[in-house]
Amino acid sequence: MKLSLTLIAILPALLAQQPPAPPQAPAPASASPPPAAAATADTSPAPAESWLTGSIDLGYRFSTGVGGSFDAYRSIVNLGEGPKLLGADFTLTDPKHRLFDQVRVRATTWGGEPYSTFHLDAGKARRYLFNADYRDVAYFNFLPSYADPLLGRGIVLNEQSFDTRRRAASFRLELLPGNWFVPYLAYDNDSGSGTGATAFVSDANEYPVPTNLRDSTHLYRGGVRFELRRFHVTLEQGGTTFKDDQSLFQNSGVQNPGNALTPVFGETLSLNNLLAAYGVRGTSIYSKGLMTASPASWIDLYGQFLYSQPDSNVHYQHAATGNLFAQDQLLFYTGEEYLLTAAAKLPHTTASFGAEIRPLHRLRIVESWMTDRMHSAGSSSSTLALSGLGVSEQTAALLASSLANNYNQQEIDAFFDATSKLTFRGGYRYVWGDANYAVLPAEGLVSSDQGKLRRHVALGSVSFRPNHKLWISGNIEGASSSGVYFRTSLYNYQQFRAQVRYEISSSLNVAADFSLLNNQNPTAGIKYDYLARQESFSLFWSPGGGKVWSVEGSYTRSDLRSDIGYLSPQDFQSQTSSYRDNSNTATALLNAKLPSRAPFALKMTAGGSLFVSSGSRPTRYYQPLASLWLPLGKHVNWFAEWRYYGYGETFYLYEGFRSHLVTTGLRFSR
Amino acid sequence: MRSDPGVRFLLLVAAAFLTAEAQQPASPYAGSEACQACHEDIYNAFAKGAHRGIENDEKHGWKGQACESCHGPGQKHVESAAAADIQNPAKMGAAQADKVCLSCHLHEPTRVGRLDSGHAKNQVACTACHKIHTTGPELTALRKASTINAQCTSCHQGVWAQFQKPFRHKLPEGAMSCVDCHNPHGNIRPAMMQTFAANEPGCFQCHGDKRGPFTFEHGPVRFEGCGTCHEPHGSSNPRMLVRHEVRLVCLECHASLPGAGPGGVIGVVPPSFHDLRSARFQNCTVCHQKIHGSYVDRNLLR
Repeated sequence: MKLSLTLIAILPALLAQQPPAPPQAPAPASASPPPAAAATADTSPAPAESWLTGSIDLGYRFSTGVGGSFDAYRSIVNLGEGPKLLGADFTLTDPKHRLFDQVRVRATTWGGEPYSTFHLDAGKARRYLFNADYRDVAYFNFLPSYADPLLGRGIVLNEQSFDTRRRAASFRLELLPGNWFVPYLAYDNDSGSGTGATAFVSDANEYPVPTNLRDSTHLYRGGVRFELRRFHVTLEQGGTTFKDDQSLFQNSGVQNPGNALTPVFGETLSLNNLLAAYGVRGTSIYSKGLMTASPASWIDLYGQFLYSQPDSNVHYQHAATGNLFAQDQLLFYTGEEYLLTAAAKLPHTTASFGAEIRPLHRLRIVESWMTDRMHSAGSSSSTLALSGLGVSEQTAALLASSLANNYNQQEIDAFFDATSKLTFRGGYRYVWGDANYAVLPAEGLVSSDQGKLRRHVALGSVSFRPNHKLWISGNIEGASSSGVYFRTSLYNYQQFRAQVRYEISSSLNVAADFSLLNNQNPTAGIKYDYLARQESFSLFWSPGGGKVWSVEGSYTRSDLRSDIGYLSPQDFQSQTSSYRDNSNTATALLNAKLPSRAPFALKMTAGGSLFVSSGSRPTRYYQPLASLWLPLGKHVNWFAEWRYYGYGETFYLYEGFRSHLVTTGLRFSR
Repeated sequence: MRSDPGVRFLLLVAAAFLTAEAQQPASPYAGSEACQACHEDIYNAFAKGAHRGIENDEKHGWKGQACESCHGPGQKHVESAAAADIQNPAKMGAAQADKVCLSCHLHEPTRVGRLDSGHAKNQVACTACHKIHTTGPELTALRKASTINAQCTSCHQGVWAQFQKPFRHKLPEGAMSCVDCHNPHGNIRPAMMQTFAANEPGCFQCHGDKRGPFTFEHGPVRFEGCGTCHEPHGSSNPRMLVRHEVRLVCLECHASLPGAGPGGVIGVVPPSFHDLRSARFQNCTVCHQKIHGSYVDRNLLR
């Protein structure tokens, strides 16, 4: 909002200012042939150009209100009423190249909007490049159908809801761009804050309570690039700091019955007071080395080495009172205090190396190898004290955990140019790895797990481009596995994709895309059957170069079928998890410039998107829109836009919504 | 007068040099000014683009011949005005077009991921995405989120259809672009995913609270990534989940059934007391809320 006001304030000043005098002795843009100095002008703008170009859109959005579930609307759309800075995109050019050659600024949707962005690029040739990026994204999620065990009691309370904002800022400064030696520095920040509802789990019952969420990550990095004619090396060193201060609370005076409906041994459980606090602090360092080289004209080499070691230190505590129950001891108690300190670290090494070899004019062979190894180790020390009703018990626990994954991949591809328009590729990939996970001392059924990954993949593709108007491409992968990490992992799969793009005429382009993934795991006890298929068709038609009208549209049909067996945990009966998603999606946009005798013609846009699906969660989501643009002067356009959002679900009717939004405003440009 | 033999030899050598110079074929390069004479719009656009520096640059040896640095020698084309007499990377096969670009851009960090790039493997040329002669604020490399998205989805139409689903990352709104998550030049991670802090999944760039390392990890997050449970492009299911009910996302792995192969599969056995007929247990994450990994509890309860 502050930025909106600032820009509104400076806008008249910007528009009122006269552009500075053109650079001395400029060459006329149309001079033919031009003086050599003009032809080689590096960054000097043409004399007719303004020092400021671009546009800024200011407007106001009206809403008819939301019919249906406002929470679902906020979870999906979340647009509100009020004055907005809808967009800004402008370039400042300094013809004298003092501090910068150009500064480019872009901003979208400011003024209480759910997603606001700001981006700035500034640079001076061969001196520096600077980028800044900022995003502020609202994350609201409150869908009763998602996590509401209390819905049967008529209580609408999603126990996994959030009303937070995530903010990300990124700054990067690169010095001496275009030189053989390029140092750079960067800083990134990602943070989240807000409130939500979550469950406090206390052995025999879980109690929905409010939570405060607050976390932030800072990333600092710097490096150098050496770019020479025959090789390149990038070296980067970075580090992060992280903190997470989530807290859960319930004030005294409220008796929270939790999710359990049935009394335990005749007693109703409840939570009367709670304060839980996480104090997580993390740091990490990382190193990065990248390399390319061409030791001879027939070979190029590529390699990278990446290493990171994040770690975390945790202090967690909670204090709860109420009528609580410990199941393993069949013990009622009224107070619980829990203290925990923990630490974890995750050294992670990745390396890859490869070569492209060109033994013949038409043949290229690409060989690559990659390894990715992460080994996590954690430990915790905790104390649980139970009190009340004659109980005074203290339990200490020491736990150690580990997780390791060693992933490797080797691939060879051969590319053969049968003609200059037809290329074939054939290849083979072998993937292998091992993973294990353990928490000690062992408890219950879960203590340690191990998995192995072994996969052979055959690869092939063809690309045919008989002329610049037609492009046909297809690629296929087929794999056979003898070990995977998870039941739902890719096992014996076939993947296929075909694309066609054709420029029928200078005003009409069409494209089609077909993809398929079939994954089968016939192993006894798994029997996984998965098939996903998608067909798309798109069209762009702009008769006469789109001066009067143009239309673009696309249609996609996708079908997904998944079946996998499991045993229901309460009775160990065999069950099948079946998922179906058959969806139709259409998007269209018609642009038209209405005929007018006036010097300013009205422009109209209409279209939007339509999504309809059937299957496991039948859903409809409509987003039509229409907009009008009317130039009011050389530098001012009036615009108005209507959008409709309609959402509905067959199984969860109470989550449907519909809303009309009308936005109107002015675009100032120069 | 009798001339000195030495003088005659020198005169002969000088004459030979002069003759040789006169017979030297004309340069096949015409120079950028000759290009401008007919292609003024393109020339002017080029002068504002990212490649404008080539015209003055000694480094790559194309000073005054920026157009011909990509289009090859142009003198013959200048003389004949025939399109066949000059090369046009936009009309070449991908490998040939890329060769033109890589003659300067091979040794840059963006090329390191080339071996893993689906684009390179499927013959998508540099010029399919980078427009060399474009004018306006969107020059050779696209920067505006909506423009990047339009570029990518012109080929990946099915992906754009997924973004029309209700639960999605905010790309249609222009708050994000495809390159926030994917590196179109290739990367070590599957699907050319971006990385964060050297080799961690790019998801952590925005979802730092899911990064850990956790005292108690959840294996799939580390081994196969967020896509195990989430459809990042968009889904009909809340939280972009791959299934319509949370319990099914969990039970498909935690199935109480033995695993496959000599090493087995990971995480097949859940606790046995959960009665899934009760609403209490139908969404596992109500209790196992730290499903991405927990700093505190081995069962991911807090």
